Order: sequence, then structure tokens, then C-alpha cells
Amino acid sequence: MGFLRFIGFSVVRAWQGFWRNAMMSLATTATVVLMLVLLSGLYIVITGLNSGLSFIESKVGVTAQLVGKPDQADLTPTQRDALIAYTRSLPGVKDVTYVSPEAAMERLKEVYAQRGQKLDLGNDPEHHISIYASIEIQLTEPKLGDSVATALRDRPEVVQITTKQDELDKLIGVINVVRTVGLVAIALVGLTVLFMIVNTIRIAVYSRSGEIEIMRLVGASDSFIRWPFILEGILCGLIGALVAIGLVAIVWDPIQPVMYDVFKVPTIVGARFLATLSALLLAVGLAVGAIGSWISVRSYLAT
Amino acid sequence: MSVTTRPMTTEGITPEATGQGVAASRDAVITMLDAAVTYPNGKMALSDVDVTIPRGDFVFLVGASGAGKTTFIKLLIREVQPTAGRVIVAGRDLARLRRREVPRLRRRIGIVFQDFRLLPAKTVFENVAFALEVTGAGGADIRRRVPMLLNLVGLHQHAEHLPTQLSGGEQQRVAIARALVHDPAILIADEPTGNLDPVTSWEIIQLLIQINVLGTTVLMATHNQEIVNAMRRRVLALEDGKLVRDEPEAAYEREY
Repeated sequence: MGFLRFIGFSVVRAWQGFWRNAMMSLATTATVVLMLVLLSGLYIVITGLNSGLSFIESKVGVTAQLVGKPDQADLTPTQRDALIAYTRSLPGVKDVTYVSPEAAMERLKEVYAQRGQKLDLGNDPEHHISIYASIEIQLTEPKLGDSVATALRDRPEVVQITTKQDELDKLIGVINVVRTVGLVAIALVGLTVLFMIVNTIRIAVYSRSGEIEIMRLVGASDSFIRWPFILEGILCGLIGALVAIGLVAIVWDPIQPVMYDVFKVPTIVGARFLATLSALLLAVGLAVGAIGSWISVRSYLAT
Repeated sequence: MSVTTRPMTTEGITPEATGQGVAASRDAVITMLDAAVTYPNGKMALSDVDVTIPRGDFVFLVGASGAGKTTFIKLLIREVQPTAGRVIVAGRDLARLRRREVPRLRRRIGIVFQDFRLLPAKTVFENVAFALEVTGAGGADIRRRVPMLLNLVGLHQHAEHLPTQLSGGEQQRVAIARALVHDPAILIADEPTGNLDPVTSWEIIQLLIQINVLGTTVLMATHNQEIVNAMRRRVLALEDGKLVRDEPEAAYEREY
């Protein structure tokens, strides 16, 4: 009963305090919103890039181009099958697919068709463009690509090896840069938010100095004096988080096709992603509010 | 109104050592034993103060500005701690009191000031209720006690007024009602008539006497010679931080 009364008292006082200095409180809340919107943006972009990464990883890991043009039957079916069997036996290989020169040509045409162009093969059948046969190797783990490539490079049937490692490294580099820059930006905004909250609560403490003095004289305990201010800071964080979640929910549907266009893979996993993001925003909002007001109460509410 | 006092002997101090009688010690609500306060800047605010105030006493604390009256009061409500000696208030040894126990001590002490210190945005009722609310009292308790106290100080008709709508004397009555919300053992009045005209001052003194008669120990710091001389109560006089006079039924100035 006593505890409920304490909670009730603190919440009511925090609410009154928030609106007593409404301009300052709302400005602080706005900075919380700004920080959380930035955080949402970073979270969405990083998630998108990570989805792209796993998508690429799940695709072909190593491609080995083989000797044997369509018109030069250098590689017999037996040799080909032996190579595939050998490749399958290598550690880290999940699956091996043979792509014939004809199939490769079809793919090339398809790529051109998607771009709205026609593949020009030239008129001279002796010199027209020709494509090697290849095997495409899916890996159990992307990092095993190098050992598979090394093993295949020595085989006489193999003309050239291409791995996706370079592309993956590039993407990982981009993700790291985006993540670092984003986190630094958010940390800077976060510091500003913290400063705003500390300041808002400091002003609240000063504007209530008369009441605080009377509370002390009549024997109010420290928790009755301190918690309304801490809750006032938490309130800034909470309202900021709710507004930010609302904004994310509003832009949610329009953003999905854009995400698909940018990352070319289904990056967002729907409602669960939104729930996780909301929980993150709520936790960060509440934490920054609590930390800021706690610092302020510790610094400006000497007991 | 109950006063919890621990026998002095359990505190390790024999009556002989204190120089006080056994009966007086047992009933004391305030005891200072060689109490001294030296501020961090080196200023000696109080030194060697030995005093015992029994339950139910009405005591005047007099002395020029800077004599140590404010420090004396701060010592009692544990706003400052003694740098030497001991201070025991309402049965609690203040040097041993933990920080989180201070609020409980302060509920045993009511205090009023020259400048009333009412909250201007709150009504008379709310000002008194606030003191209960911030110490965790429930609504029923507040609705029962506040009208009772406003009745005691004669302000029940003004419950819904703001402090600014009241005279100085009335504001001081509100402050006294607020000081009494926790049924304290001691009421400390720091220059309660300093801002009031003579007639109103007397009304406040009458109210303090009435509260004293009901059993509360009253300690009043004052510069008002007329009141001290007319009342003929116990007088504690401070001078340069020392207790230079502790006399029953005395006048403002030494008479011998």
C-alpha cells in the first residue's frame, strides 16, 4: 500500500513536472525522437546490408570455368563427372552444379533481356562469342572458399577460378563503415540528448527547490524527493520512444519496396522485425532518460 | 503524544558524567553534551554546549546575529553534524544516525521560520497536506488530519485560500499547522514573529503556548525582548558560539 502510494505520488509529480516546464521537456523529447529515428535508420540499413550479405553467401561461392568450348569437345562426360565427384569430396563443399556452355549462353541472354538489350553474337559463326562450361560450387561456409579454389586450381580441366570472396569482402567493408559512422553519429546525438535531459531535470530541480526544502524539513525520504525527477527524465525518454515507434510504423509500408530496390533481397522479415526494432527504441529511450535524470539528480540534488 | 527516549546509561554515558539528574535525563527530548560545530572553513560556530531540555519545556533561544542560534537549530534537525561532543534528539544519538534515518528524525521535529516558507501555488489545505503526502500518508489520513490541524490554528475557514490571500500572522499559522502534521515531540520556531506586527506576534505566541500545553516541547529562537521578558520562561543565551546563560523563568538580558 505504502509502495503503491509512493509510485502514485512519484508518477503524478513527474507528470506535473514534465508539463510545468513544457517547452524544455518537449525540446528534450524531440531530441530523443531524433536520436531514435537515426537509430532506426541505421538498424534498418544494417539489417538490409546483412540480408544482402547472407543472400550472396547463400549463392554460388566458387565458380570454376572448364576447358571445352561447345565446338571443342576437350572435356569428355567422364572427365567432367570425375571432376564433379572430386569437387564434391572437398571439405566445405555443399553442392556442385554443372553449367553447360548452352545454359551459360541462355543466362547471358536473360541478363541482357532484363536490361532491355539484345545480345549481339555477331554474324560470323566461326568467331562468334563463345562461353566456357563451368561448375558452380556452393559452400557450407564462405570462408572455406579459398581452400576449395586452391584445390581446383591445380586440376587440368580448370581454366579459371572465380570466387565471390572479393565481393563479400567489399560488402563487409561497406557494412562496417556504415555501422561505424552510424554508431558514431548516434553516440554524438546520444550525448546531446543526455545533456538535454540532464539540463531539463536540473531546471526542474531548481524550479522546485522550495518544495524540496520543505520536503526535507518535514521528513520526506530521499526516494520521495528523488524519484519524481528520475521519472520525469524517463518520461522524456518514453514519450520520445513512443513517437519514434509511431514514425517508424507510419513509414513502414512505403519503405519496404524501397528497401527491396536498394538491397535486391527481401531484407525485412515483417512484424517480428518491427517488434524487435520497437523494443530496441523503447529500451534506448528509457535508458537514456533514466541515465540523464539520474546524473542530474546526483549532481544537483545534494542530500 | 509519546516521546521515545532511551536511558542515557545505555548510550554509555552515566548521569554523573553528564552532570544531569537521572530524572531529567530520562525525560529529555534534547540533550547536547559538549557539542561543538566547526565549519570546514575553520569557523567555530558552536563550542562546548551542554544543555538538556526536558519534555514539555518552553525554551527561548536568544543571542545576537551570528551567535550560533541557526547552527544550534541546524544541529537539532541534523542539517549539520557535531564536530565534537554529542547531540541526542527525541531519543536518537545524531552522530550514530544513518543518513536514511534522518527523515524519521525530522518527523519528530516540527519547524517554522520567520519567512513562513509556504508553497505559493498551493492552498492552505494543500500546503499542510503536502507535508503528509510527501511522507507517504494516504488520502484518508490527510482528510482526517489536515482539518483538525487547521482547526487548532484557527484557519479552517481559510482552507481553500492561497497563502497570498492571507495576512502574515495567518501564513505563520499555516506554517505551524504544517509543522505539527507528524505530531512532533519538538516544535522549533526560528524567529516566528520576526515579520509580524506586535499584536499578531502575541497571537502566534499564544498559539505556541497552547501547543506547548498540549505536550509539545517548544524551542523558540527570537530577538523579541518584549515577548521573552513578558513570558518569563527558560532562556538559553548564546554568545560567540558558547552557551553563556541557561536560566529558568528569565528575561532577555541578564538581570544580575
